[in-house]
Amino acid sequence: MTLLALRSGGRWFADNFRGLRVVLVPACFLAVLFVWPVLRLLALGFGDEAGPFHSYLRVFTVPAYREAILTTFGIALAVTVLSVLLAYPVAYLMATVSPRMARILGIGVLLPFWTSALVRTTAWIMLLERYGMLNSILMRAHLIRHPVAFVYNMSGVLIGMSHVLMPFVVFPLYTAFRGLDRNLVQAAMLLGAGPLTLCRKIFIPLTAPGALAGANIVFMSALGYYITPALMGGPAQTMVSQLISFNVSEQLDWGMAGALSGVMLVLTLAAFFLCRGVLEKRLKGRVVTAARPYGEGLSGRSGAGWGMVVAGCAVMIFLLAPIVIVFPMSVSASPILMFPPHGLSFRWYHELLSRPQWAAAFFNSLKVALIAVPVATVLGTLAAIGLARMKGTLAQILEGLFILPMVVPAIILAVGLYYQLTPFGLTRGYWGLGLGQAVIAMPFVFLTVQAALRGFSRDLELAAMSLGAGWLSVMGRIVLPALMPAIVSGAIFAFITSFDDVILALFLTDVRARTLSRLIYENVLQDVSPTITAVAVLVIVLTLGLLLSSLLFQREKS
Amino acid sequence: MMDRPDSLGQPVQIRALEKSYGGTRILQSLSLDIPAGCFCTLLGASGSGKSTILKLIAGFEIPDSGEILVQGQDLSKVPVHQRQIGMVFQNYALFPHMSVHENVAFGLRMRRVPRAERESRVGEALEMVGLKEFGHRYPRDLSGGQQQRVALARALVIRPRILLMDEPLGALDRGLRQGLQQQIRDIQQRLGMTTVFVTHDQEEALQMSDMIVLMRGGQIEQLGPPREIYSQPKNRFVAAFLDDCNFIPLRKRNVGIRPQHLRVGSSAREADHVMSGRVESVIFLGTYRRIRLNVAGETMTARLSSENMEEFMIGQDALVGFMESDVMSLEEIPGDLL
Repeated sequence: MTLLALRSGGRWFADNFRGLRVVLVPACFLAVLFVWPVLRLLALGFGDEAGPFHSYLRVFTVPAYREAILTTFGIALAVTVLSVLLAYPVAYLMATVSPRMARILGIGVLLPFWTSALVRTTAWIMLLERYGMLNSILMRAHLIRHPVAFVYNMSGVLIGMSHVLMPFVVFPLYTAFRGLDRNLVQAAMLLGAGPLTLCRKIFIPLTAPGALAGANIVFMSALGYYITPALMGGPAQTMVSQLISFNVSEQLDWGMAGALSGVMLVLTLAAFFLCRGVLEKRLKGRVVTAARPYGEGLSGRSGAGWGMVVAGCAVMIFLLAPIVIVFPMSVSASPILMFPPHGLSFRWYHELLSRPQWAAAFFNSLKVALIAVPVATVLGTLAAIGLARMKGTLAQILEGLFILPMVVPAIILAVGLYYQLTPFGLTRGYWGLGLGQAVIAMPFVFLTVQAALRGFSRDLELAAMSLGAGWLSVMGRIVLPALMPAIVSGAIFAFITSFDDVILALFLTDVRARTLSRLIYENVLQDVSPTITAVAVLVIVLTLGLLLSSLLFQREKS
Repeated sequence: MMDRPDSLGQPVQIRALEKSYGGTRILQSLSLDIPAGCFCTLLGASGSGKSTILKLIAGFEIPDSGEILVQGQDLSKVPVHQRQIGMVFQNYALFPHMSVHENVAFGLRMRRVPRAERESRVGEALEMVGLKEFGHRYPRDLSGGQQQRVALARALVIRPRILLMDEPLGALDRGLRQGLQQQIRDIQQRLGMTTVFVTHDQEEALQMSDMIVLMRGGQIEQLGPPREIYSQPKNRFVAAFLDDCNFIPLRKRNVGIRPQHLRVGSSAREADHVMSGRVESVIFLGTYRRIRLNVAGETMTARLSSENMEEFMIGQDALVGFMESDVMSLEEIPGDLL
């Protein structure tokens, strides 16, 4: 394509050269540390001595593998449906209360979104386990005689995963509700639509694009889940990610790992393209922006409306409970996790400080982040700025590349990088992990900066150039300062991604450079001890502090 | 649907309607009778309460007190979706996920009208608004004027007892608006449809209505046929709202003179009342010239039709006069700031 374009007068070249120059570095980075290792892993799937398709054949013939694929698909589907069902009342609630209240609810939804997924999973286990809070309450209220097994089975996996993934549906759905014009609803009512018909013919069809966009993200993420099923599920809930990990670390069967990765990747991409196709073909034109949003100045609710409000409040409690619960638990004096906590003591915080492995792990996390965050921030920003100056097919392909690390399950990247980097000795210490986390953090920076660039007028650049500013001055004095809030919040996203990562940390580093997340994971895998609650509180405080400072920073700048 | 005009157009009676939002009174004990088949325009500035009346009739809001009767039936206990009222919104409010045909058929589906009848009624309704060929299109593919005609067809196809229109032409540009005004009026008269039309555009109100209700601060300032409300305004507010007006103290009473009734120059000589003034500006506007004059320290405006060829220069002294028969007597409004 390049050659052809060059021959055709260099017009294409002139259009894209500026951007290409900027995009080259991040593109090469992803090519070496993302595309190449993933492709090599996939190639291993066809590398079995018994024939190129032997591993794939085994995926579909060996019952354990076949079942794992079906289980993975089933869990992902169930989590997606649950997330959409839970998100509807919350989005409805947010869209129909006062703007002030909507903001508070929005922060309530963001809170779990941004607190470590690992910590939330841990908190859920505390809440749901045999002698956890929920069972204690139910038994004390004499609603049950014996503890109910909420966790280490399917219900545990569904609760944990829906909780982590549901916010992805709430926000697009909220946007869809805001785009719904009040007059549409009034027109339908006057034409004779009762509450049920209104829901079926107006609300659901018109919020479908938002729900589907959110559901797509949930489904793709859920397919690749590893941590939550490992911690909250039982053997029957083994997902494909776990099997890939098992094949690499226990069986040393790389062919199988490659084949399983291939299957998972195909499923993920199929879901992605299917959903995009439906959004573009069937639901096109349904995304509307309302002059008078449905929820504004709503006078009175129907019975169904009140039902949705109650459901929305219940879901908000579901979202916030595990975050809130760790605070009282962490200052309990009792050595076993029980509810309500007995006595008040800071012994778990003391114990945390007295055991050097926790402090060491925390500093390891910081060191890794010190590699991952700057790399992801610089490269993500370059990618966004460069791409804004390009057009055509190449720009679309590159855009896909920059988002892809978000779509491809982390386990595939982890195993691929492990295979790629081990010969270079990079799977010990900080560098391998830092660069790997930079790959998965980069899309966050790219997307936030890209969004900010959409609101940035190219006329400003032209004005600066007309005043005599060169390319560097335009960048340094006009573009970068305008993008600073987005870059900073992208960097914070990147930090949280790096800090929260377990999967890469399991493969790309050794015990000496073990990060905090990995240490928590290894602890929780064995048993949830009270010390973990103290760690959880500290991690929550840290991430929330960061989130808050990001919000404040953005407000100040704008 | 056009063959049974007797089933359409029912009278509306509004009795002592009150409505407040958070302590602010929007409607104050408002009563209004709209005869069957009448095109009644609620005219007023924003905040005058005109849209609130529409919302109360439609049932989007509940009145604090008072009642709304359609053909003698009190609407207060009737839920919105059973009121059998048609409504056209300013922003069209067409369902974006349905084709034009599906939009128009929506109300009939809700009423479980059998398929064959539904099809023929949708076809008739679309034909009535001149969009017979547009059934398969989607709202996003239509212009604003076409969308509003679909909205009109959708409101009328259910054979409503009354038709409500909330500034339906507000989003359209001027040329389109006039064509559509005529079309709406024609259809309304053909069907004998009782229509409550809300606008803040006095020209539109004058052109279209059988009856204008001029509102101010949640109350009716004056109501009557367009000609009457235009030429016999009760007070300065009404006079000024409907058109430009010169207010002149005449023998200790306040009177109003429309600019087209003011004579300037030689033609003023035979007038019943003659004053002298100085020309401040002359603007040519095609069918007439607008002349501003300073008469005893007050600015007055005259409209001279283009047949009057007399030249006026800025700064020139000129006679200003008017006939006794063109004088509009106005009531004093206490505390009037006009």
